[in-house]
Amino acid sequence: MSKIFYDHLVIREDITAVLDSYDLDPVEREELVGLIDSHLHHHILNIILNHLPKSHHADFISRVIAAPHDTQILEFVRSKVSVDIEEEIKSHAAKIKTDLLSEIHKSRRK
Amino acid sequence: MPRPAPKPKLDAQWLRSRIKLKHLHSEKLLTASHPGAVAQLHAVGIPPGNLRDHATRLLTAGATAGVLLLTPGQPLPASASLPPSSQTLFVSPLDLHQSLAESLKSALPSEVIPLTPSQESQISAILHSHFGLHAGADLEGNRLNRSYGLIGAEQHLPRYPGDTASAHEDFIQAGITPGRGAWGYFAPSLAELTPQLIRTEKYYVAVQTLYLPDWTTRLSYLRDWYKYRKVVMVNPENGKTIIAAIADSGPSAWTGKHFGGSPEVMAYLERQDGSQKGPVILFFVDDPDNQVPLGPLEYNLEKGLPLS
Repeated sequence: MSKIFYDHLVIREDITAVLDSYDLDPVEREELVGLIDSHLHHHILNIILNHLPKSHHADFISRVIAAPHDTQILEFVRSKVSVDIEEEIKSHAAKIKTDLLSEIHKSRRK
Repeated sequence: MPRPAPKPKLDAQWLRSRIKLKHLHSEKLLTASHPGAVAQLHAVGIPPGNLRDHATRLLTAGATAGVLLLTPGQPLPASASLPPSSQTLFVSPLDLHQSLAESLKSALPSEVIPLTPSQESQISAILHSHFGLHAGADLEGNRLNRSYGLIGAEQHLPRYPGDTASAHEDFIQAGITPGRGAWGYFAPSLAELTPQLIRTEKYYVAVQTLYLPDWTTRLSYLRDWYKYRKVVMVNPENGKTIIAAIADSGPSAWTGKHFGGSPEVMAYLERQDGSQKGPVILFFVDDPDNQVPLGPLEYNLEKGLPLS
């Protein structure tokens, strides 16, 4: 599995571990994990872009395109924003994960 | 050796629908908030949700070579990180809207008159089959005087004290109302104006709450119930459909119109006004978890497919 520069802040495994505690068809699991991953990408990009001044958006996206795994991207963002961007990502990811875990819980067959 | 306890089962299909809906919502939010950045990614063949697929491709091909190749004008072949069954099949929104318009022909009366309960139920079913949307003329015992009527164009609403037409993103020439909307400013100041409130004004509609028979006797309850209430609006002639929020009261009965639409709503529905009055369907959206995003509706919310 390839890495994205913010993976260590998101820890998707918190969700996949819960999914794996259920009797789930491997194809269905792969599909759900893919959707969750994609959903997280949308949110994390949105959070970063919300904080990053617009004048740096193109540079940021270019860096993501060139090397999506490169943790130096976070360094770049950190130098341009006034908030603790890692904390923002962690906090937002935690909320999304809570929401997704709630959906998983609700989908449990009685 | 004891056998391990069987794992509990999940309703995977239900879960997939729920997460797909959230996924579509987050995609739409990102695109609406940062269209330039999203366009930059798309220009090199990378949908924002497919970052990991892109990272995998770079690793496979060799990172250095991959970077050199990734320049605008040399797009990567589009391939999704999601399994085929979760991807949206390409059937254009135009097809979806044409199918909806065709289905509505037999459900609507030939003139723009109040709908019967049977017609309203039929239209609810049509909307659900096309969009996976739960919507109706009644919701929680509330209904407007019309669910099918004529709409006219409204101006922008002031979102905060001191807001101007030119501060709005689009349709500046539409102008801004001199007074606040029926529910006041969207935010006390520009600093407190959130992206969600910007979208609420962008996709607002006006409905005739002032003519509800119990408006004055139940004002406190109804005022809160209608504030930013989510509705679906359909132009039956072209099938174009938009999710909007109630944010103003009107128009007056003497105008002969029943609803008003923001400049963005009217432009999308292609229901331009002037002296014209165009028919639209307006139903309440049953969305207790606030999952249905405001704005044009061009896919099936439950299945992610334009047509089931």
